[in-house]
Amino acid sequence: MTSADSRDPAPVETSRPSLSSTGQATFDLGLRMGGLVLAIVLVALLMFLLKPKSFNIDVGISVLRAMSSVAIMSLGLTLVIVVGEIDLSFGAMYGLGANSLAVMWILLGIPIYAALPLAIGIGALVGLFNGALVTWLRIPSFIVTLGTYNLLYGVSLWITKTSTFNPVYPPPGSEIPTAQLDFFTGLTASFGAHPISFEVVWMLGLALAIGFLLHRTLFGFRLMAIGGNPVAAQLARLPVTRYKILAFVICSMLAAAAGILDFSFIQTTQPNIGLSFTFPVFAAVIIGGASLSGGKGTVIGAMSGALLLAELQQGLALLSPGPHVQQLFLGFVTIGAVALDLALTNIRKRRAA
Amino acid sequence: MNGGFEGVRLRGLHKRYGATVALAGLDLDIRPGEVLGIAGPNGAGKSTLVRIIAGEERPDDGELLFNGHPWRPAADWRRVAVVHQEPQLFPNLTVAENILVGREGATNGWPKLGSADAKVMKAFGIDRFADTPLADCTLATQQRAEIARAVARDAQVFLFDEPNSALTDEESDELFREMHKLAAGGRIVLLVTHRLGDLFEHASRVAVIRDGQVRAILEGDALTEDGIAEQLVVGRDGETNVKTCAGIDRGGGSLVSVNDWSHAAAFHDIALDAKPGEIVALVGVEGSGARELLRSFAGLESCSGAIKIAGETGDRAQRLSAYVPATRMLSLYSNFSVAENLLVRLGSPEIAGVGMALKKKRMRQLANEATRRFLIRAHSVSQGIRSLSGGNQQKVAIAQALNCAPRLLLLEEPTRGVDIHSKREIYRLLRDYVGADNTVIMFCTEVLEVYEAADRAHVVVDGGLSRQIVVGDYPHVESLATEISRMERHARDDGGARRQL
Repeated sequence: MTSADSRDPAPVETSRPSLSSTGQATFDLGLRMGGLVLAIVLVALLMFLLKPKSFNIDVGISVLRAMSSVAIMSLGLTLVIVVGEIDLSFGAMYGLGANSLAVMWILLGIPIYAALPLAIGIGALVGLFNGALVTWLRIPSFIVTLGTYNLLYGVSLWITKTSTFNPVYPPPGSEIPTAQLDFFTGLTASFGAHPISFEVVWMLGLALAIGFLLHRTLFGFRLMAIGGNPVAAQLARLPVTRYKILAFVICSMLAAAAGILDFSFIQTTQPNIGLSFTFPVFAAVIIGGASLSGGKGTVIGAMSGALLLAELQQGLALLSPGPHVQQLFLGFVTIGAVALDLALTNIRKRRAA
Repeated sequence: MNGGFEGVRLRGLHKRYGATVALAGLDLDIRPGEVLGIAGPNGAGKSTLVRIIAGEERPDDGELLFNGHPWRPAADWRRVAVVHQEPQLFPNLTVAENILVGREGATNGWPKLGSADAKVMKAFGIDRFADTPLADCTLATQQRAEIARAVARDAQVFLFDEPNSALTDEESDELFREMHKLAAGGRIVLLVTHRLGDLFEHASRVAVIRDGQVRAILEGDALTEDGIAEQLVVGRDGETNVKTCAGIDRGGGSLVSVNDWSHAAAFHDIALDAKPGEIVALVGVEGSGARELLRSFAGLESCSGAIKIAGETGDRAQRLSAYVPATRMLSLYSNFSVAENLLVRLGSPEIAGVGMALKKKRMRQLANEATRRFLIRAHSVSQGIRSLSGGNQQKVAIAQALNCAPRLLLLEEPTRGVDIHSKREIYRLLRDYVGADNTVIMFCTEVLEVYEAADRAHVVVDGGLSRQIVVGDYPHVESLATEISRMERHARDDGGARRQL
């Protein structure tokens, strides 16, 4: 048999640095992240060499701003994918987050300080709805969230009466107090010598929080367990239902938050915003190494995936080789990342054999 | 039907999986027109043999001869049919379509049932289900469809692999009638089963496989249930016996007591007591209700009656028990390291503190302790679980359950597919565990396991529990095997008599 079967008493290392300190697949993850970081650096270098004048620190910062809403949503989607489910509705939730805030605040006159937590609360309710249907009624999450996607978009169209909103130019009859407007735009205000939006800080803060939750708490540990082997988790009496629902709730809340932050930065909202984010966010999470079969995924991976996509997007926009190139890249990168994953798994299996 | 058909000969079959030898030069002649029974303890190479004849595996060495000619079942799949407990068919298609799949003929349209196929379906009594989706048919009908499908494509070799464990008595009688018809038609029929009664009743010869070879062929007067039972365990006496301190009766009350315990389908009116310090085995074939009975003690089946564990009932009783399923894939997490697998059933405060933050240092410490205590051989606790050997994976599975300090450990076939060295260590672990005033109840299909690990055993037949067997009363494993087979037979006969009244 393997050398693991030697008769010696278990030689166990007392400490070993690794990303998940009790963690497995450190080698894989290292290679995976190494490859991703290398891709990010290579793309940056390539862009710089092709058009040195256009690329400066401000472009870099704009990449960070542009990635932030995709990154925030990819954090939530990572949790759902780790627990072995799928969420297709977060893009529509992003739109409903922004639109419900706009309606409550601008149309109904609810102060922003109340409307904002209410909009996030709507996200929580949507997550609860998704999670409850998936766990209690055992409807596959793909179908549930495909339905919610349409439901949420419908609600957005309905409550906005298909109109756009901008708090600086409220519709006739509405009045937005300056203090509230300042608070709202302050959420994503730019600061520093090279202006950087506060949205980037939100993104980093949320990434740290979700990273801690997923990789350093019992909650994250059990999410990984449930996603890795749902039957075993049930037999071991882990709180499968509760944790799955929680993953959906966090995912929807983060999507609402992303929508609100982008609304604050762009200052306008339309009924159909967010829908087109669905596939880029999935791509970011998959490129980051999460497995659609569950039990595998990291926050740092999802963030790197989002960064790579934003970099390609901004870079190609500046190089302007045509809109098709960006789409082609998105396709290649997604498939390439998963192909790399499979190759690494095969290498590991051969090493183990 | 087959003039001069000589049957199938297997010569010197070898098969290894890694370091495990599954077949070690197996020779066997299978004659047309007979029902050849195959028996053997788990891990003896029985299922490897079935897979090779079915064409799912190729032997490393040796040859198969069909009617005297070298034969590769994988390339010649139409000749072989395997009838499993679970039919390997297409539940979304109708019965008729299932008969047709793979032999649609030269049509490009939706295939139609030919007259020959219709005749076959009629012969098997499934013509009236022709247009019913297979998923809506009973298991017995599905198995018939599977056999009919094979007959329609003129298969010559029929492998019945534990075919009746999920059937009622009437259904399995009918199944065996079809089996005998196939044999009478000059086909080759193999019956692989743990049910010694079925082998005795339906096979004309029984080949007993141990350690990857045919060790005995029983026929004529030598072919009895007790004879097979003895052959299954012969020469295994005390190989891994660790019962040095076994069966100490500490007196006192019982840790587990079950009364009037009934299940809708699997078992009824069970009463069982187990004391601290005891390992109790529930012996039964698949479908006897023994597995469900064990699972019910963990709260995994809905039952009526009363169960008490250490004086507690309901949810609190369940929390005092831990269950380890037979399939390791149902208790281990392939995405996790050894350490994470060991600790996954723990929670706050053992591995998490304030704000659910994991205590990483404590986890590593606990994992290291567990690998030492449970004799798990790993380079490091952070290596992936799949890189361990089967025996060590099984130790992790048991350690995972024991880590949450249950009073009652419920095990299904705890050493299935485990090498002999790990097996001995697992028995020692169980002994240590019950030594600390706990109880183990395990579901066994193998007499050897009962003999080596258990203090007491009950035989489960048709959902009823036999009187207890004190394992220590039997001087060697053969006598225990004979006793268990006798009890199974009596329980069956009683049950049969009761049904006829």
